[in-house]
Amino acid sequence: MKRAALPTLTGAALALGLFLAVNSPPDLIQGEFVRILYVHVPSAWLAFLAFGVTAFGSATWLIRKTERWDRLAASSAEIGVLFTALALLTGMIWGRPVWGTYWDWLDARMSSTALMFFVYLGYLALRRATPDPLQRARRSAILGVIAVIQVPLVYFSVSIWRTLHQGMTVTSDGIAMDGEMVAALMANLAAFTLLYLSLLFERLRLAKLEALAEPIAEPIAGEAISTPKLGSQL
Amino acid sequence: MTSRKWVVPVGLMAMLVAGFFLVRSLSDDLVYYLYTSEAVEQRADFPDGRRFRLAGIVVPGTISFNADEVVFEVSDGAATVPVRLLGTPPQLFAEDVPVLMEGTWEGEVFESDLLLIRHEEGYEAPDEGNVPES
Repeated sequence: MKRAALPTLTGAALALGLFLAVNSPPDLIQGEFVRILYVHVPSAWLAFLAFGVTAFGSATWLIRKTERWDRLAASSAEIGVLFTALALLTGMIWGRPVWGTYWDWLDARMSSTALMFFVYLGYLALRRATPDPLQRARRSAILGVIAVIQVPLVYFSVSIWRTLHQGMTVTSDGIAMDGEMVAALMANLAAFTLLYLSLLFERLRLAKLEALAEPIAEPIAGEAISTPKLGSQL
Repeated sequence: MTSRKWVVPVGLMAMLVAGFFLVRSLSDDLVYYLYTSEAVEQRADFPDGRRFRLAGIVVPGTISFNADEVVFEVSDGAATVPVRLLGTPPQLFAEDVPVLMEGTWEGEVFESDLLLIRHEEGYEAPDEGNVPES
């Protein structure tokens, strides 16, 4: 019964978040399009949180060298990649009607987020391509620690560069937003954070079971590719 | 542990450090867009036909829709630039809206073939007299 507590709480929080998102007022300029914000911002926040936890797990593995920290880093990175994709996708859907374009490569926020997405995809690929558990843990821990510098880069990209993407709405000076919208945004940020914890605990449980299972001789990513024999055809 | 194992991580770290400095130097040189007063100031650096991006707010009362172009003025408060936009602007194009355009100087007029709406970081609910567009 205890294990069902967090998923239940998450479901309730997501339902409340959805209710507030639908019932909050439309924006003066954007109209109804503003509602995408309640998915877009929490998704981006989860990506940042997840990659931060990956860096923490990676750094702790480098110090302690115990398997559980490697599992934490890997599990969190998977969730981070998923929510980065969701942030990119919802941003594009919002951008088409509001900005007039799905994508702009010259925009620092968009480009840096895309880069972060591909680097963490690379992190997952690195794990798949390294069969030895110790070697895999070491390599991915180092990448996990380095790659996290992208998180502040993406976050501050709107204030470092001039971008099409708007600046920060929530700053230390206050929140430039209608009260009901703030409530909806905060509820969804909390709900998504609970969703992250639910997914993370479930993935950690699976990772532990995977480690317990007999190692199966599986083909390794890239194994089927052989070096082209130069000159043999000529 | 052999020293070879460190080649990949050390190489990666070096690349990231190099990338960091590249980004830093780019942020000084590369300007994503110019505000109207900057564009007027740097008019000599952008001869007719050289593409750049221009940002400003659409001046109320200046928009006129013609056959296949829209003519209006944009301003950043300090300088106003007349614009000829070839094509159809996005749905949210209106007076007082911040816009970002790509195009070239043609004399004193900025001729653009791409207009994007910049959305500011503030979000407001409509109240009486303030009706949302869409």
